Amino acid sequence: MLREIAEMLQFEFMQRALIAGVIVGFICPLIGIFLVVRRLSLIAEALSHVSLSGVATGLFLQKEWGWLVGIHPVYVGMLFSVIGSLFVEKMRKLYHSYQELALPILLSGGMGIGVVLISAAGGFNADVAGYLFGSIVAVKEEQLTTVAMIGIMVSLFVFVFYKQLFSLSFDEENAILTGIPHRVVNLVFIVMVGLVISSAIQVVGILLVSSLITLPVAVSLQIANSFRQAIIYAIIFAEIAVLIGFFAAYSLNLASGGAIVLVSVLIWLMVVMFKRIRLIFNRKGFRRE
Amino acid sequence: MSQPAIRLEDVSFAYEKEKVLEDISLTVDRGEFLGIIGPNGSGKSTLVKLILHLLKPQKGKIEVFGESIEFLKDRSVIGYVSQKANTFQRGFPATVREVVASGLYGKLGLFRWMRKQDWEKVDQAIEQVGLTSLAHRNMGKLSGGQQQRAFIARALVSDPQLLILDEPTVGVDAKSQEQLYELLTHLHQQKQLTLLLVTHDIYSILSVVDRMACLNKRLLFYGTIDEFAKHDQEILSQLFGEGHGTLSITLSKGQKQLV
Ligand SMILES: Nc1ncnc2c1ncn2[C@@H]1O[C@H](COP(=O)(O)OP(=O)(O)OP(=O)(O)O)[C@@H](O)[C@H]1O
Ligand SMILES: [Mg+2]
Repeated sequence: MLREIAEMLQFEFMQRALIAGVIVGFICPLIGIFLVVRRLSLIAEALSHVSLSGVATGLFLQKEWGWLVGIHPVYVGMLFSVIGSLFVEKMRKLYHSYQELALPILLSGGMGIGVVLISAAGGFNADVAGYLFGSIVAVKEEQLTTVAMIGIMVSLFVFVFYKQLFSLSFDEENAILTGIPHRVVNLVFIVMVGLVISSAIQVVGILLVSSLITLPVAVSLQIANSFRQAIIYAIIFAEIAVLIGFFAAYSLNLASGGAIVLVSVLIWLMVVMFKRIRLIFNRKGFRRE
Repeated sequence: MSQPAIRLEDVSFAYEKEKVLEDISLTVDRGEFLGIIGPNGSGKSTLVKLILHLLKPQKGKIEVFGESIEFLKDRSVIGYVSQKANTFQRGFPATVREVVASGLYGKLGLFRWMRKQDWEKVDQAIEQVGLTSLAHRNMGKLSGGQQQRAFIARALVSDPQLLILDEPTVGVDAKSQEQLYELLTHLHQQKQLTLLLVTHDIYSILSVVDRMACLNKRLLFYGTIDEFAKHDQEILSQLFGEGHGTLSITLSKGQKQLV
């Protein structure tokens, strides 16, 4: 086992893949927790579909008109994701009491544009599959640099704005009242969400990205008492999923994105079951007393 | 220094077409304890939100501590416990301590972290409302009354000079309610805190407030409780409609307390 891992890490592309995976496993739950507690986790899903339309646009422009040839379609996806996130924030303000209303529109719109442009650009091939399901081993050095930069930016943002993000998530009205600069923080936050999603896409793919953002948080909410714990547990679970999923994918020759998400689901199942069993035992003890 | 805590001058407000508040003028002195009563939908919460600048009046002026509310820089002089405070998500992963600390975040600003003395303030506020033993408990695992007290602690932690509570006793049992009024009276006397309390609970507040405001779109009565007690039947029937039997009964109990 250890030898296998050592052998695998001799390859440079594997090292890159692992680093990208660890970074993404850190920032996804870090941003995800705020989305989940604000009941906006569907944003991740919607923005990933918007990214799909961006990636498809990139592919299409390259194929048809030879535009953007030097530019990786992932960056077009990133651009779309950020623009999409600004749209979400605008809509969130517009429909104050139905904040999630913008999301189905974005989700289906993004999917529609994506599918149309992909078929126009030559249909579904291995490349496209890579974007949909993630191809962590295809991460180039330049992309890794981008992922790392986004990782640093997002971590810094959450670190510096932790107080503001907590207040806005727990009680937006009270946060505004106490003078928290809510417009700026909300805007920067949503742009960060867009960036996280477009970088996570390279690891787990468009279809699975929202699960890496929400699943570890779902597990951590089962057991966390405080907000601090919730963040730490979510990151730990995400990293476990990334590492196990990554090595499993390599040694069993599976798709890495799928493996990572499957491990997350398994962790979730285990924690839920553990909680139930503990509850049953506690109650038994209670009866005996 | 003798500026009043709150001054409203001819304030009118409408959410849509219909006016919800009309020509409200009132002055609350520093250190005063004001009770606001009125039937459902009479505009009590709206009035509070106007004072907090969560809503902007179409007409009239609102001043807090002598400054027009739009330009009030230090927001932490006002503490607020909303009517909806305990409708927060039960599953939210936060302890009492974390929630109370968030009352300081606006005052701390962007680049300052919680220091030791800030956490001491948090623990003091928690102690004031009697939740010390539950400080590290998850908010969702508290009872309704305990949650309400946690929100009061969050409002108190930034050392406000004015505390506004919108129906804090809804869903709170009689004993906790009594404790709450004791706490408010204590804060009022010890810290010279100006208090504004919205409630349906006319009977219990008569013994704690200094003045009373009766609201139903317009300000029907505004004065000391002695004045209120003189004209109570008139005011209440005007406020709640003629022949409101139950209310006159509760009020006569209140009067007994007053004498
Ligand atoms: N967001 C809103 N949009 C439109 N109308 C509103 C809104 N909030 C309140 N209203 C209306 O304004 C009026 C006053 O409401 P308000 O919440 O101030 O009443 P209240 O005195 O606090 O009532 P309660 O005792 O039930 O809390 C009501 O007629 C209500 O229908
Ligand atoms: Mg109200």
